[in-house]
Amino acid sequence: MSVMFKEVTKVFGDGTVALDRFSLQFDSGEFVVLLGPSGSGKTTACRILAGLEEATSGNIEVDGRDVTDLPPRERGMSMVFQNYALYSHKSVYDNIAYPLRVRGMPKSEIAGKVAEVSRLLQIDDVLRRRPAQLSGGQAQRVAVARALVWQPQICLMDEPLSNLDAILRLQTRTELKRLHHELRTTFVFVTHDQEEAMTLGTRIAVLNQGRLVQFAVPKEIYHRPVSRFVAEFIGRPAMNTIDGRIEDGIFRAKEFSLPVPGCADGKAVLGIRPEHIVPHAAAHAGALACRLDVLELVEPDMLLFVDCGGQPLIVRCTADFPELARGAEMYLELPAERLHFFDGETGLRQP
Amino acid sequence: MSRTWWRIVALGVLAVVLVIVVTPYLWLIMTSFKSRIDALADAPVWFFTPTFEHYPKVFLDKGYLPLVLNSLIVACTSTGLSLIVGVPAAYVFARHNFLGKEDLFFFFLTTRMAPPVSVVVPMFLLFGFVGLTDTRTAVILAHSTFNLSLVVWMMRGFFADIPREVDEAAQMDGHTRAGMFVRVLLPLAAPGIAATAVLCFILSWNEFLYAFILAAFESRTLTVGIPGLVTPHGTLWGQVAAVAVVATLPIIVFTFLVQRHLVRGLTFGAVKG
Repeated sequence: MSVMFKEVTKVFGDGTVALDRFSLQFDSGEFVVLLGPSGSGKTTACRILAGLEEATSGNIEVDGRDVTDLPPRERGMSMVFQNYALYSHKSVYDNIAYPLRVRGMPKSEIAGKVAEVSRLLQIDDVLRRRPAQLSGGQAQRVAVARALVWQPQICLMDEPLSNLDAILRLQTRTELKRLHHELRTTFVFVTHDQEEAMTLGTRIAVLNQGRLVQFAVPKEIYHRPVSRFVAEFIGRPAMNTIDGRIEDGIFRAKEFSLPVPGCADGKAVLGIRPEHIVPHAAAHAGALACRLDVLELVEPDMLLFVDCGGQPLIVRCTADFPELARGAEMYLELPAERLHFFDGETGLRQP
Repeated sequence: MSRTWWRIVALGVLAVVLVIVVTPYLWLIMTSFKSRIDALADAPVWFFTPTFEHYPKVFLDKGYLPLVLNSLIVACTSTGLSLIVGVPAAYVFARHNFLGKEDLFFFFLTTRMAPPVSVVVPMFLLFGFVGLTDTRTAVILAHSTFNLSLVVWMMRGFFADIPREVDEAAQMDGHTRAGMFVRVLLPLAAPGIAATAVLCFILSWNEFLYAFILAAFESRTLTVGIPGLVTPHGTLWGQVAAVAVVATLPIIVFTFLVQRHLVRGLTFGAVKG
């Protein structure tokens, strides 16, 4: 089974272009994450796939079948909403059983299905309660249970974790991953949280301004971002990017220069992740001299905000790096194999 | 100390309000059991020998009993009709956008701005033209005109308070749009519908002018019946009071029955998060 977005465009009534010729294809059993900043079209893509929103143009195919004009109930998909959207007038049991009832499953089978899924999500002790009597985490599980109980082909999740507090979000994230391993259902998960995307996704689709920017496994998104946008969006703290020019194999920006053999001349952006910069407290061959501005301890790591001849850089290193005083001289080594170059105009990755 | 004092003040105020509100109603009940002499006495008579002649006299001898039925039929049907048309309309106003939506919504309110007297004469002519004068249908339709705007205005707030995602969840769970509305949204909006229904019922039950002009004979309602007791020989106060007592009973019963829903209903729609 596969899902295919073919050149899907969505223009809202007020003229906003939410999706601009968006194409994407993935297979059954994947955990696809739609990642992007707000307004990138990720939620719209998810809702169009669900059938809750109509595409202005383009097609959606599931298993080679065009589902573009099918109503939500005929698409074999379920959805978990950000605010859970539980039926407040029904008990938890009835909430979970509801999709089975609507689909006309006999009562005897329903009880078994509900018991099974509520055990899986560890909510079998709250089945008699009303949604209003649940904690945020429990309500979330009920919503997931309702979405999985009828074993849909695809389970869509629109920022399902963003209403949970930080600790619960981490726990639920792990559980979703476990659930995916056990059920092998196809998940489509919408989020603006790059960490969530990196940990959950088998593949991540990065969206920006209604377009697909990159669709790849998390490792590749992290190590080979196709553009400056993806590079800066993935990873916290964000990748250091320095605007400059390459002339005669030397990258220059303000008072900062670095030999970069083999790169084409012209405007360029150099990128390096904070965790890939190697800091030295003492002078080091080939290292850039700079001054320490601010030091933040984030055990077991340390964040160094340094000033390299007017160019601010963030360095992430282990906490055993000596705690230098503010303004102290230090040296940074930028390993050549860790550098990324992006076109100064288009922001696209240079080889 | 001061708390106790405030309590006493509050109770005092409540007592005064209670006396002001309840005395006329007690007076009405008493009058319905007074003889004509007692009812017309110059000095108010508080203690008297009750008579039970007014109730059978007016409801059986004068044939006012069918008027109760007329009132019930008119109030129930106009309430039901307004709900059937108004609730789906309110849902559309709450959920969908279309050209001129707010103008149309305001138009519903403006139907209540014209004084009923100015509308009732054309209405009388219209109903006469289609041969509906002195029918319950005419009164039901007339009452539905004002009840419909009430339903749309009240229910829009209720639907707006139900998260849009609930609609969508119901569709994902396998409902058609119609199924979603009937099976999921209506049960969720039930408290609001109950509150609205009670208000509609009360408005229709108490309405006098439309009913009086459109159906003054066979199909007249209880409220229209009361002026008939003002005779050239004087007002039959005992019988007027008896009819009034019967006319207020359903309102009181209804209000007590749905009191909780009514309070929740009226505030639920108005306060938005």
